[in-house]
Amino acid sequence: MYRFFLSWRYLAARRTNIIGIVGIAVGVGALILILSIMTGFLLETKKSLRGTLSDLIIEPLHLENRQGVTVPYDPAPLVAAVRADPRVVAACAQLTWYGILGQSGADAAIANVRMADAQSGKLSGVKLVGIDVADEFATTGLRAALEAKPRFGGTRVHDVEHPFAPPPGYEPSGRLLPSCLVGEQLSDNWNLRRGSEIEIVTGVPDPKSGNFAVNNRRYVVAGTFRSGENEMDLEQIYFERTELADFLSSPRQFSQVLVRVADYEKDGRALRDDLSSKLGGLGLISRRGAGEVRTWEDFRRSLLGAIENERVLMAIMLSLVVVVAAFTIFAILSMMVTEKRRDIGILSALGATPEGVTSLFLWIAFLDALIGALAGAVLGVLGAIYIDAIEQWLSKVLGVQIFNRNVYLFDHIPAVVNPLWVVVIVLGAFVCTLLFAAIPAWRAGRLDPLEALRYE
Amino acid sequence: MSDAIVSARGIRKSFQVGDRKLEVLHGVSLEVGRGELVGVMGASGAGKSTLIQILGLLEQPTEGEVTFQGQSAWKVSVAERAALRNSGIGFVFQFYHLLPELTAVENVVLPAMIGSSMGAWRAARRENLQRAEETLARFGLKDRLKHRPAQLSGGERQRVAIARALFLDPPLLIADEPTGNLDSATGEKVLELLLTEREERGLSMLLVTHDERLAARCQRVVTMDDGKIQGDVRTAARAAAR
Repeated sequence: MYRFFLSWRYLAARRTNIIGIVGIAVGVGALILILSIMTGFLLETKKSLRGTLSDLIIEPLHLENRQGVTVPYDPAPLVAAVRADPRVVAACAQLTWYGILGQSGADAAIANVRMADAQSGKLSGVKLVGIDVADEFATTGLRAALEAKPRFGGTRVHDVEHPFAPPPGYEPSGRLLPSCLVGEQLSDNWNLRRGSEIEIVTGVPDPKSGNFAVNNRRYVVAGTFRSGENEMDLEQIYFERTELADFLSSPRQFSQVLVRVADYEKDGRALRDDLSSKLGGLGLISRRGAGEVRTWEDFRRSLLGAIENERVLMAIMLSLVVVVAAFTIFAILSMMVTEKRRDIGILSALGATPEGVTSLFLWIAFLDALIGALAGAVLGVLGAIYIDAIEQWLSKVLGVQIFNRNVYLFDHIPAVVNPLWVVVIVLGAFVCTLLFAAIPAWRAGRLDPLEALRYE
Repeated sequence: MSDAIVSARGIRKSFQVGDRKLEVLHGVSLEVGRGELVGVMGASGAGKSTLIQILGLLEQPTEGEVTFQGQSAWKVSVAERAALRNSGIGFVFQFYHLLPELTAVENVVLPAMIGSSMGAWRAARRENLQRAEETLARFGLKDRLKHRPAQLSGGERQRVAIARALFLDPPLLIADEPTGNLDSATGEKVLELLLTEREERGLSMLLVTHDERLAARCQRVVTMDDGKIQGDVRTAARAAAR
């Protein structure tokens, strides 16, 4: 009985214990907070990395053999076969190619200087994407990207239902140029707005002769889009698929089919494998190269893996903080054992066993850990919940912007508290503290009680 | 002699001091009878303290046997020996040895706390605290119940220590120069209290002292010199007491 009673008294009487408790609280709190933020980042980044990527992407290889092309150039049969699967909500065909962006119209002079300067970082290689508007809207997030509020001075399309309609007020002196949609960051870099004219230069190999033919064509910007994914917003330009195929003068009418799945988390991978074998059987994909059917995560694997790694690394580093805190408890208890030698002697004279003395000190560590870990858990969880308010307050007080909302593409600091982790971290801090405390506690039990009693 | 409460036979005790072995007790035998008040005298370094620590089961003799209430004290487990100390022996030290974090009352009930489990303590808590308060009140510390040792005078502290030693009514009291740290007037009062309580309860007592007058009040005086018992005298006081 005295163990608990005395441990409580010692805890209350010794201010040094507070240092240990605070140490544990800070360690546990920081660990919970950082892991929550890292998890939030992972989820948000996952969301934004996805951008306008669809659930599944099918990229057939248009390889030729003796009988001619194995896979049809027309996307219709492939799209129809994919839509036949009940797990599929929508599918659309895209034609993609690459080009160099030039500019015509008022800003052409600057653009030409840029293009002439080989060192210019502003020279933009762009990805040309041909789409079928209705199918695309049903399948990908393009509609949302077109409707997203511009953040870097882009201009939305006039009518989202008809994004490729000529922009209002566009009155060309000559031929009416076909429309295109540019990413918001690209438009920012090139100072493009609705109605600006651009020139795309591209090279296409001729399938018959094998020669590389250079094409160029001028377009008018019908509006900008913001998907939230940096890469996409910086280098993607959308066209109508038929228009792009015409520009490229390529027999290929599509390069990939995007698929939206009813329940991606549940069916995504299975559907990928099923479609791969089904389409292969129908001769709609070549099955000669691996990965013709992929999930969007397959596309972004390396980036997602990097964030996950970072999270694990952070957890390991911050665990060291908890270990240091536990070490503080070790130091404090060691000090206390030395300081309390006389008391230990008195207790043994009054009939306390060595185990009793050991457990008295373990109780102290237990209470330190209990108070510290619980306080830390509360701090960490509250911190994760109110992180935005905290960051804003800190930024104001310190006069430094801690979380740069332009760099991260999120307008808040994401934090997701995982209750299981909180439990694991609290238990970990506990075990760690008790393990460290066991050493001085054991020493206390083994002290010769008399040595302490002999002299004052 | 009545049956012994504690007896030591052929006790030798040596300490390792550096690479030298220092023998403090060279074969000491002593029995303390039930209800007997034994004074232990001798110059400092004679081995008095070591002897009573051995008799108080705090120190293991290098050689020889200690029997407490018929049980060989070093043949039982650590826990059993701790239990013997807890309920069988009350210690009063020269330097009081109270726990500084506890109040006077809490210090007094400490032996009961140590001796009982959580449940047993909770059941008897109120009664124990009340008994401790009564004892302290009887010892003239009615207004000092909730004071910490640091807030008490030397004499008050020693009275708290005596109340603690007596709390579980142990058959043996061991007092190591209980007045050695007090001025003579205070010491006199404290000693009076200790002896009266012992008398009333009929306890055995080992009293280590330098004070001849104090020794004169003992029924038996053991004189130690150089790790041996040099004299074992039953004084007239014994006849007077009985």
